[in-house]
This record gives sequence, structure tokens and C-alpha cells, in this order.
Amino acid sequence: MTQLLAISRRELAAYFRTPVGWVVIALYLALSSVVFAFLVLAPAEPASLRPFFGLSGWLLMFIAPAVSMRLISDEIRTGTIESLMTAPVSDWLIMIGKYGAAVAFLAIMLLPTLAYPATLEALANPDFGPVLAGYLGLALAGMLYLSIGALFSALTASQTLAFLGTLFTLLLVRLTTTEAIAQRAPEPLSSALFAISIDQRLSGFARGVISTGDVAFFACVSIWLVVLSVIALQSRRWR
Amino acid sequence: MIEVEHIEKRFGAFWAVRGATFRVDRGEAVGLLGPNGAGKTTTIRMITGFLPPDAGHVRIDGKDILNDSLAARACIGYLPESTPLYPEMTVQGLLQHRARLFRIPRRERRAAVDRAIEQCWLTEMRRRRVGHLSKGYRQRVGLAAAILHDPPALILDEPTNGLDPTQITEMRRLMRELAQDRAVIVSSHILSEVEKTCDRIIVIARGAIRANSTIETFGGGACPRCILEAKIDDQTAASAFGDALRALPGVSNVDLESLADWRRFVLTPDVDAPPIAERVGKVVLQHDVVVRELRQEAPSLESAFLELIARADIEDQA
Repeated sequence: MTQLLAISRRELAAYFRTPVGWVVIALYLALSSVVFAFLVLAPAEPASLRPFFGLSGWLLMFIAPAVSMRLISDEIRTGTIESLMTAPVSDWLIMIGKYGAAVAFLAIMLLPTLAYPATLEALANPDFGPVLAGYLGLALAGMLYLSIGALFSALTASQTLAFLGTLFTLLLVRLTTTEAIAQRAPEPLSSALFAISIDQRLSGFARGVISTGDVAFFACVSIWLVVLSVIALQSRRWR
Repeated sequence: MIEVEHIEKRFGAFWAVRGATFRVDRGEAVGLLGPNGAGKTTTIRMITGFLPPDAGHVRIDGKDILNDSLAARACIGYLPESTPLYPEMTVQGLLQHRARLFRIPRRERRAAVDRAIEQCWLTEMRRRRVGHLSKGYRQRVGLAAAILHDPPALILDEPTNGLDPTQITEMRRLMRELAQDRAVIVSSHILSEVEKTCDRIIVIARGAIRANSTIETFGGGACPRCILEAKIDDQTAASAFGDALRALPGVSNVDLESLADWRRFVLTPDVDAPPIAERVGKVVLQHDVVVRELRQEAPSLESAFLELIARADIEDQA
């Protein structure tokens, strides 16, 4: 446990000791506050955070690759991977510790946005069910995006490649599984596209519906991708 | 302490290391010497568990680096080549992080960090960020991180790279100190480095071990060369004198060089020949030449090393 926490702590601190972490948080808060101010607090609109969750779902597709790209790539590029992988720490702990730090960073980034439901509560009487479900959806989507990023980061020494690989994969998955495209695809591809549609599942959370299937989907895919990342990290020893 | 048995590593068709076998005991400092690309770093990476060998075994303090990897790795202090460190951390923060990775108990952590900082002369730098330190100080931080958990085996890859002469002297002193109760492997391509810090040399070239001996016996205990500087104006007389030297038993070759008014004869003895200086003296008396210098020169570590490398190249091409 000490080792896991040591890895997570160093990784999380590194986000805040370099400008990257601060810039990502600042940009996200700036964009989300614009949406909150102009779309959520708009007159005659219902007291709902759906526009904020909708935008955040898309913003995370760009933020998560920026957060995850350095996880392993940076260690490979600078050579610190050699010190890390020759310490008495298993590859599982290395990957889980680093992935945990990236998830913690996203959580810290989302924390100030709790001011939005608080503001809404002061001005109107929002239903907190969809708000809680919306945050859960964001957190689960963020974890899924970060696990894709962790896999790409374990595969290359280039942070740029890790970023682009993650971003294009996310765009590909999200675009090809939109209703417009999935409907036009022949069966059984159409059903498969609907089944892996992140949009569909996130819209359920935004409506306040927490489905076990959706939670299990995000959790299982994230876990599998982290397992693949560990295998990718282990494979570095054999290359 | 460090046992390496027939380890092999291949990258595609390229043999990086072929059948390396050696052992290093506690209290011994061994220099792993070889030209760039010889296989030193690959050997070290296999010993430290960073790369698994394709064949063979590595055991650290009796623990197999593959089958009991975490326990074996806990016994190793490793300073990788070019000393990779996290630049955003402070010296103290980085050492505390390493102490946690090596599971040093919380109550002993502070003392271990303080001891490593003191041993590596980093007291004044403990709160500085690693990225703001000079190369020499970064090297010391890398060494402090390697000795932090008091490992019985210490592996240092090019430890004096980029250090200034004062730092090199300090580093050598520290390495000798550390080797007193540890098994130490120092990888280097600098001969004088190994000569001054190690008890034994292992020469690796083209992936194979070419020599494994103490500094004193390195080079096979070859007979010293004999160098004679004599005043012989006449070319014919000089040639005749050279022929007389060549005819001496135990002399395999005589090279003649002209130095203004003097001529230098360099006599290379046969392998295992007895010292030839006495017999050279007799020839000098017989030819009645004026001599200003007659000395024996032991083959330098460098010449023995170069000979080994050249032989390795020839064998490999064959």
C-alpha cells in the first residue's frame, strides 16, 4: 500500500509542479463556467445542469488524453522507467498507482464545479438526482477515457503520439456510435455500435438514470484497459 | 552475492550478450569494462531485472532475479546510465519517495534519507529541485537513491560520467568506501576509472566476456617490453645492432625509431619469456654503443585492453 500511495502521490504532485495541470484545470473551468453562465443560468430554462454535463462529456475527450499522455511515456522518454522498474515494485502497482493519480487529478478538476449546483440551489430548486447521476457519469466516462490514455502511454515514448492515439480512438468510438451512424449500419454491427455507445450511456446519466448496466460497462471496460496497460508495460521488459 | 550464469540476450538477429558468467562477492568491487556497444548496459539491465535474459540465471544474495524478482530487486542499489531522475522533485522529496518504494519503515525513513544525503555530500542541496542541480550533483542524487536502502549489491553504470576532476576523485573514494561491505559492479569504458576503483576487471566485447581477472594479473602477466635509447650515427651499424637484439632468445620483435641524434629500440618479448633486459645489456657491451636509457615497461592496462578488443573483433569476424 505504501508503494502504491508513493507512486500515486508523486504522479499527482507532478501535475501540479508543472504548468500542464494548472493550464488544463483553468481551461476546463473557464469553458464550463461559460456554459453554466449562458446556458444553465439562462432565463426561462429549467434548473438543470444537463448542458454542463453534455459539454463536460465532450471536453473530457480532449482533457483525458492530455492528463494520461505522460503517465508512462514520460518515464520512458526520460529514462526514469528503469529506476522504477528495477525497484521492488510490481508492474501492477506501477500502473494502478499512476492510473489512480490521473483519476484523482480529474476528481480535483471537477471539484470546483460543485459550485454550479450550489449556485443553482441558491437561485432555484433543482432536482439533485440528475446532478448526482451526471457527476457519476462524468467520473465513469473520465475513468474510461483515462484507461485508453494509459494504454497508449504504455505503448510509446512519445507523449504527442500517446495524446493523438487516445484522442483519435475516443473520437472514432464516440462518432461511430452516435445514433445517426449506428442506425445506418447493418446488423449485427448496428447493435454492437449501440452497445458500446458512450453517448447513449452518458445521456442516461444526464437524465438522472443510474443503470447498473451502464455503470458495469464503464467499470469493466476501464478495468480491462488498465489490465492491457499493465501487459503493455510488462512487454517493455521483453522488447 | 551477485551470481551471473550463462546469461544471453538477443535483439532480433543481434546478439547483445552471449553466455556471460561471473560472480561478485561481498567486499569486492568489479569493473565491467568494454567499448561502447559491447553489451555492458544490457548485462547490467539483466542483472537488475529490467530486462529478462533469454537464457541463463542471475541471482542476487541467492534470490533469482526472475523467479523471486521483488526480493532480488530489493537487494540491489542501481544507478542507471545518465542518472534519470524526476526533475520537479526536491532532493529530499525524491529520496523519501524512493525510500517508500523500497519499503523502508516509516520510523527509519528519515534517518535513511539523512544518511544518504550526508554520504553523498548533498546536505546543502537537500531542498533544491533536482532539475535545478548541476550534472555532478544529479549524479550524487542518483547515487544517494541507490544506497538509500543499504543494499548488499550495488550496480553503477558509468558513475563518473560528466563529473569534474574533483567530483570524480570524491566519487571514487565513495565507491571504494561502499565496496568494503558490498558487492559492487562499476560499468565503464574508461580504463583508468576501473583501475582506480576496482579489485577485478571483467572485459566484455561483442557481447561476450573476454577477460575476468584482478587488476594485477590483467593482460595475462605478459613480460614487460624493453626500451633502449642508444646513440648510433651510422644506419648500417644501427641495423646490425637491431639484428643482434632480434637474435636474442625470448625476443619476438624489435621496432626501431629515430629520435634526432638518438635511436630508440623497442623490444617485445615472447609470451612467457623471462625478462630480457639483462641480455640486452650484454649486447650493448658487445657493440660498444652509448646508451642513455634502458628500461622495462610493463604492458599498460590500456594496451592489454586494446589487444583483447582487437582479438574479439577478429574472432567475431572469423
